[in-house]
Amino acid sequence: MHSRWELLHMLTGILIAGLLGAHMVVLHLNSILGFFGIGSPDPASWNTMIERSKQTVWLGIYISLLAVVLFHGLYGLRGIIFELNPSTTAERWITRAFTVLGVLIFAGAAYVPLTLFGR
Amino acid sequence: MKTYAKENHLGIKGWVWGGNYKLERYLYLLHRLTALYLLLFVIYHLIVTTFFRIQSQSLWDAVLAAQAVPGFKVVEYLAILAFIFHALNGIRLILQGLGITLGKPTRPIFPFEDSIRKNRGLTYTILALVGIIAIIFLADFILGG
Repeated sequence: MHSRWELLHMLTGILIAGLLGAHMVVLHLNSILGFFGIGSPDPASWNTMIERSKQTVWLGIYISLLAVVLFHGLYGLRGIIFELNPSTTAERWITRAFTVLGVLIFAGAAYVPLTLFGR
Repeated sequence: MKTYAKENHLGIKGWVWGGNYKLERYLYLLHRLTALYLLLFVIYHLIVTTFFRIQSQSLWDAVLAAQAVPGFKVVEYLAILAFIFHALNGIRLILQGLGITLGKPTRPIFPFEDSIRKNRGLTYTILALVGIIAIIFLADFILGG
């Protein structure tokens, strides 16, 4: 079971590299993309952001990115903490706490792109 | 009988220094540091893009204006740098962890070639790619102001 989660940690890492890579290219390479006549000159502005929020593809990217980033980040942090060798009981509680935290953050953060998409 | 299985002799100090490490061990440390930096940045980024984004255009514009200072640009660029390194080094670790880049087993004939040295080429390639992509993003940060 442990190795399955490890494998999922690897797979989410690859997914993040792709999805966050797309996010960073669109939002942080706008000057270079603009030179080649592609992308938006101001991708973070309100109008561009709202326009992006209405597109199904970006909604999919944001929700998927949120899920994989939360799993990858919290599972990685759990691994770092586990290296300090807490007791088995503490390990169990850390896992539970991180699971609850992940679900709560996902619910709170997914609400925003879903609301903007529906507006 | 005393068991040593759960003892951590070095603790947090062991993350940084535990002997005469090779390059890959320091990349592991950098991988961990970039992970923690990215995690902190993601928490901040989620707060900004959820609470502030949904309320009003004026609040969103005020947040963007507050972030348009040189100090925050440095923080933002460091997050991009951390992501580029963490992603590419992570891909190297996955390739090595799954044994994809280890090659076929060879006879132990002197001079011996351990698995780390077999992958040194991949390590240097990854570091070169990190450098090139980091320069491209830096150019955009300078061009974009």
